[in-house]
Amino acid sequence: MRYGPSTALDGVDLTVRAGERVAVVGASGAGKSTLLAVANGTVAASSGSVRVLGADPAALRGRELRRLRARVGTVHQHLQLVGPLRVVHNVNAGRLGSWSGPRAAWSLLHPQGVAEVAEALDRVGLAGRLHERTDRLSGGQQQRVALARLLVQRPELVLADEPASALDPALADTALTLLAGLAGERGGALLACLHDPALALRHCDRVVGLVGGRVVLDAPAGTLTVAGLESFFGVHR
Amino acid sequence: MLRPARDRARLLCGLGAGALLLWSLAGSGVLGGPVLNPAGVGQLTRFAAGALHPDLSGELLGVLARATLVTVAYAVLGAGLAVALGALGAVAAARTTWGRRRAGWVAVRGALAVPRGLHEAVWGLLLVGVLGLDPWVGVLAIGVPYGAVTARVFADLLDEAPHGGYEALRAAGAGAGVAVLYGLVPEASGGMLSYAFYRLECAVRSAVVLGLIGAGGLGQELALSFTSLRWEQVWSAVYALAALCLLADVAGRAVRRRVAAPPPRATGRRDPVLTGAVLATAALALWSAWFLALRPATLVDGRTLDQLGTLLRAAWPPAGDGPLLSEIAVRAVETVQMSVLAIAVAVAGSLVLAGVAARAPRGTGAVRWAAGAAVRAGLLLLRAVPAPVWALVFVFVLLPGPLPGALALGVHTLGVLGRLSAEAVEELDPRPVAALTALGAAPLGRWLYGVLPGVARPATAFALYRWEVALRDTVLVGLLGAGGLGVLLSARLAAFDWPAVATVLAATVLLTLAVDLVGARVRAVLR
Repeated sequence: MRYGPSTALDGVDLTVRAGERVAVVGASGAGKSTLLAVANGTVAASSGSVRVLGADPAALRGRELRRLRARVGTVHQHLQLVGPLRVVHNVNAGRLGSWSGPRAAWSLLHPQGVAEVAEALDRVGLAGRLHERTDRLSGGQQQRVALARLLVQRPELVLADEPASALDPALADTALTLLAGLAGERGGALLACLHDPALALRHCDRVVGLVGGRVVLDAPAGTLTVAGLESFFGVHR
Repeated sequence: MLRPARDRARLLCGLGAGALLLWSLAGSGVLGGPVLNPAGVGQLTRFAAGALHPDLSGELLGVLARATLVTVAYAVLGAGLAVALGALGAVAAARTTWGRRRAGWVAVRGALAVPRGLHEAVWGLLLVGVLGLDPWVGVLAIGVPYGAVTARVFADLLDEAPHGGYEALRAAGAGAGVAVLYGLVPEASGGMLSYAFYRLECAVRSAVVLGLIGAGGLGQELALSFTSLRWEQVWSAVYALAALCLLADVAGRAVRRRVAAPPPRATGRRDPVLTGAVLATAALALWSAWFLALRPATLVDGRTLDQLGTLLRAAWPPAGDGPLLSEIAVRAVETVQMSVLAIAVAVAGSLVLAGVAARAPRGTGAVRWAAGAAVRAGLLLLRAVPAPVWALVFVFVLLPGPLPGALALGVHTLGVLGRLSAEAVEELDPRPVAALTALGAAPLGRWLYGVLPGVARPATAFALYRWEVALRDTVLVGLLGAGGLGVLLSARLAAFDWPAVATVLAATVLLTLAVDLVGARVRAVLR
């Protein structure tokens, strides 16, 4: 996987099976975000092959590609919510992969599926914030709006890039439980980039470590310790 | 669901805008009775066919080249005069100058609103009454109203500049004027330079419009070809206009970008490119004065002053009779309705086109790129051709009345608004849209949820600002017969009924001021 002259991912051979919960760890710039972008099909691999939910995103076009993407849910590192939209619309955006154009347009005037949105917001602890403008919420609240968007999208494969970076420890645990549960509900997998080794070991059953775009660690969570992972990052807290 | 007060204010603004639009539609006659003139379709087809066969004979190209030089000369001198007047006026209009004496500040601001409230073409017609057919008419017609706007903007720039240096100089005993020169002007100079070049861009379009009322240049050639129904020549002039407009847009934008983000190497020293641009413009101004044979003495000779005195005496006191006032009221309503329709057309069009007109990120397909280039070229053409000329085109297929005028203003404004909205789209954070792509949203969904919410706010602010401009342009279109206060003004001017002219002008200024205030209020609510 190359971006111009620099190589972001190199010789990665990774298979994630249904039902697995995989934590991806590594320092900044190790290629974690690129790995997720390849997995959700927004970035095409410059060499090698990629299969997502049994299909090759690079081989699909138009409607077929959108249908595959609708089955993959991503929580982004920089949230990537639409600031001036109200919370209800940002959550409903999770359904744009399955909604028709006119329905999406109508929903902006008369929000559709409000009960489901309200329930999702309730599950992430944002009950009653339905009609607030998203950019008026705090960073942690916005992160939970992004989670709620994923809850209404109901994807099979869940990709999460630092989903808990702006949350306090208790909320971080809730968020990861939600994500793992979401993937499990539809028999899919969770692939999460995490900074906190303890969180990774508590919620995932497999840990993959990246250094300079290469996989240097791939082991069941049970065989690892928090201290061992910390030395992997080279940070001591 | 409980909504906060701010939301309620926005809802009210939205409802108000909807009601205004319906009222304007009703006034234009679209809702009742026929507006189409099917007999004109043939003429429109012949006109459109001319686009593919512009007249490229050497003779016409020579005429157009000379006309272009005339237009450029008026634009450069007009903008130059505006910047000079603006720099002087800025000190008088700055809050810093007046300090706590608010009354003086309000008075100066109010006085500046008067020249600004009249269209350049109206200034041109009034100045012809004083100066006769002198090249000063074109220069002053651009320089005076532009000078008032520039003074206001320069004053705001001075007020917003950091005041530390100025305060220190004042504390050390420097006079106010010197302290402004040494302490504030250096801080605000970048913004002022940027704005001066923006004014030059606008002046090119105004110089074209002045040609329509007889000041010479490209506008006049266009009008001549149009009235003699030579469509091939019309299109040659239109393409010349578009090229000139493109040149002004690109050069002006290049200078403004350079001011906003100077190359790192040039910090601490004068940027050679900017210095070159300023010197070249100054040289161009000198050449323009020679080319137009501008004589400073004309402004102060006895005949001019005599004429001015006669005119002012004739216009005072302004007429206040009942029939005139009621006609003014009717025409004012028509003017507002036309401007509302124009803005509605422009906003609707720019919302549809902004996404396509925005330069696509790298790696998009050839079809998308070609569509973008075509829409951008179309928008350029729309704004390069003055609104009165579009009105003549619409009159082919629409019955005469306010509607063709409003549509003409609408498509002209669409050219401006579409470009501004496309730039707003280009400046959007691409990540939220990328996230929507990643979850499988279709193009319409991406646009509705990712792009529209981000550009709605800046687009509305631009639209409100352009509404003020459109109102003044309505008077221009009216001068050439489309309806509104302009019709009344041109009739009274033709009859040399100066007291009535004075009243109509006062009404126009008041109307512009009112729209200005409403626009500012709504912008504040939306912010």
